[in-house]
Amino acid sequence: MDQGDLTHPWSTTQRLTIEGCTVSTVNDRLSQVQSLARRKKSRSASISTATQLIRKFLLSDYFVLYLTLILFISAAFFFPTLGTPGNIANQLQNMWPLLAVAIGQTFVLILGGIDLSLGATMGFTSVVGAIVMAQNLDPAFFDKSPLWGTLMRPEGGLLAGSALAVPVGVLVMLAVGTSIGFLNGYAITRFKMAPFMVTLVTSTFFAGFALWLTQSRNISGLPEAFIELGKGDIVSVYLGPKLTPDIARRDILQFITYPFVIAAGLAVLAQFLLSKTVFGRQMFSIGTNRVTSDISGLPSQSVIIRVYMFSGFCAAVASILYSARLAIGQPSLGGGNLLLDIIGAAVIGGTSLFGGKGSVRGTFFGVAFFVLLLNILNAMRLDPFVIDAVKGGFILLAALVDVTRTRLMNREQRA
Amino acid sequence: MRRFAIISLVLISALALGLVGTVRAQSDITICFGFQDLETEFWVAGHKAITETLRGQGIEVLEYNANEDPNRQLEQVRECIAQGVDGIIIIPQDGDSAVTIINEAQASDVPIAVFNRPPNDRSRGITVVADNVSATEQAVEFMAQQALVKWAVTGNTVQPLILVGALQDTNAIGRREGFFNVITRYSEKYPGLFAEPIEVATEWDAATALANLEAAITANPNVDFIFTSSDFLFPTIRSVLEPRGKWVPRGDANHVIMGGLDGDATACQLIDQGFVDATGVQDLFLEAELTMDRLLQAIADGETQPNEVLLDPGFALSAANIQFDRSEMWGCVLLDEGFLDQ
Repeated sequence: MDQGDLTHPWSTTQRLTIEGCTVSTVNDRLSQVQSLARRKKSRSASISTATQLIRKFLLSDYFVLYLTLILFISAAFFFPTLGTPGNIANQLQNMWPLLAVAIGQTFVLILGGIDLSLGATMGFTSVVGAIVMAQNLDPAFFDKSPLWGTLMRPEGGLLAGSALAVPVGVLVMLAVGTSIGFLNGYAITRFKMAPFMVTLVTSTFFAGFALWLTQSRNISGLPEAFIELGKGDIVSVYLGPKLTPDIARRDILQFITYPFVIAAGLAVLAQFLLSKTVFGRQMFSIGTNRVTSDISGLPSQSVIIRVYMFSGFCAAVASILYSARLAIGQPSLGGGNLLLDIIGAAVIGGTSLFGGKGSVRGTFFGVAFFVLLLNILNAMRLDPFVIDAVKGGFILLAALVDVTRTRLMNREQRA
Repeated sequence: MRRFAIISLVLISALALGLVGTVRAQSDITICFGFQDLETEFWVAGHKAITETLRGQGIEVLEYNANEDPNRQLEQVRECIAQGVDGIIIIPQDGDSAVTIINEAQASDVPIAVFNRPPNDRSRGITVVADNVSATEQAVEFMAQQALVKWAVTGNTVQPLILVGALQDTNAIGRREGFFNVITRYSEKYPGLFAEPIEVATEWDAATALANLEAAITANPNVDFIFTSSDFLFPTIRSVLEPRGKWVPRGDANHVIMGGLDGDATACQLIDQGFVDATGVQDLFLEAELTMDRLLQAIADGETQPNEVLLDPGFALSAANIQFDRSEMWGCVLLDEGFLDQ
């Protein structure tokens, strides 16, 4: 091979190919490697774009909202009834009481704690409120109650027949819920007990206390004004032609209801506390690292007590909504799987079980996702005994998403 | 990340497959069937009878389990109404919440029937219910006669005990009333026959019943007459009496006179074996049939707010008549079909 061949590799290649040989020159290999690298680079660029997109999707504050919308649209394709205005209005109404109590749990979780007494607080406040407000009480049911003859009489509860019955009853419910929260917070901070244990004990105590006071009976005969709080609407809409003088009740959609106004008001207050006050920042700080917060001089004990009080307050608000819509004071209110729903909605909404992370907005999305998921599982005609298992699976998934998001965020921060 | 992706994929695929798999042709009539947990044989058999019969008639059944939460049941009924069902059948958690749920359905012009656990206000909705007082009285009457024989032989006062159900349930109230009616009547007629009855709360929960019964029997080891407000508690009673040597059949000096109410397969088997003396029987198949027939009739007639109480008179199956009336008791029918072997 002469000098010219070396400087003109194409001519060499051509010559050698003509001779029936397959020979690769250094330059050939170089160009192949370069082309391979280009292809690899372009593929890895597209992979990295996809990864970036997934990363962005996962880290977005609106991740659960996107997921909810995707789920809703895909499910509505298979089950058109899900997308009907009636069903949507109904699911929205199901959201409000759960949102109220889930906000309280969100606060506690941000702090790195947990409140297992929310269900029992709801049951106990429901009973206490009914004892104040009931318009009549059947002696056959309640004559063995320890309160019979004093706070409970055949004529009704403490303020039966009084115009003040409902406002006082509601205030008493809120005060009792907040007080139970105070007990939790005080025991956790003063005696350095684990939140899990303290709230489990208060849960057992107040659930049993409510059953003892009522001898396990529901208290009915609540005032209409109170019942309105649970199902009364401010704005209702009817969509469709008016073919008959009367519109059937099932065709009227509740749009703005009292539960919506109450839960939305609570959510706005909670969001304000979290994002606009020193108290909110202290919560995040304590939830992220309690020791550092203590060393920095934050009033951890006071913050923890106030958070548990707020959680109890939220449980009382939810109790008002649940008791009013069922029109009874119910000692077993908040039992069953409700606690799982509360924690599940908060966690799905991105609140970390390890503390230091969470938002009211996220919890709202979590509640929406949770309610929608139940709606879909029901629409799928799944065996009703399987539904809880699937629900549990999704809470597990949410917890995994939480871990993955935290890991990704930490990695990005380090980078 | 990979683990997360795999679990997500599995769950989302399952959901997607479920979505595709469950899209099916809609039938003409859709019935919503909402129940609380099926914790006893009675409810399991009732659930089976209703769902299988309706589906057998080509009716679509939407099933909802409220897990003993009346608020959840209210939400589920609202969901059914929003989905445009033609009728609703519920087994409510208690008589108070049933009233609210019935009102909700009727306000939306959907006919509703309540199966076996009646609302406190029976003026609205279709209510199918057993005559708990009468069925209990018949069963306890037989038990009291056994007690009378024992008293005549030994001269010892008989100590009765009743396992009371959750008292927000009118069934539990009726059964308690039936029990006390008979005990009071016999006590008045035969002074010294019965001691003051002991009441044990169960809340319709086996664990609660076990704890309370253990405490009651420990404090009163002379209990020799037990009535349970539901047959599903017989295994619980057995676990308390057996270690004390009191779970023995009729004819043994230590036999505890025992009865219950429901008429389930376990009770039938225990009467056969001699451990149980009598049980009040609710005619489950009749009640299921009455519920479905009346609701379907209302749907066919365009009746949106049917209000009617349909009574199952009930009867007592005892050691004396089991050989003749066996085929009338749903529990014995299920027992003979191998229900307890499943």
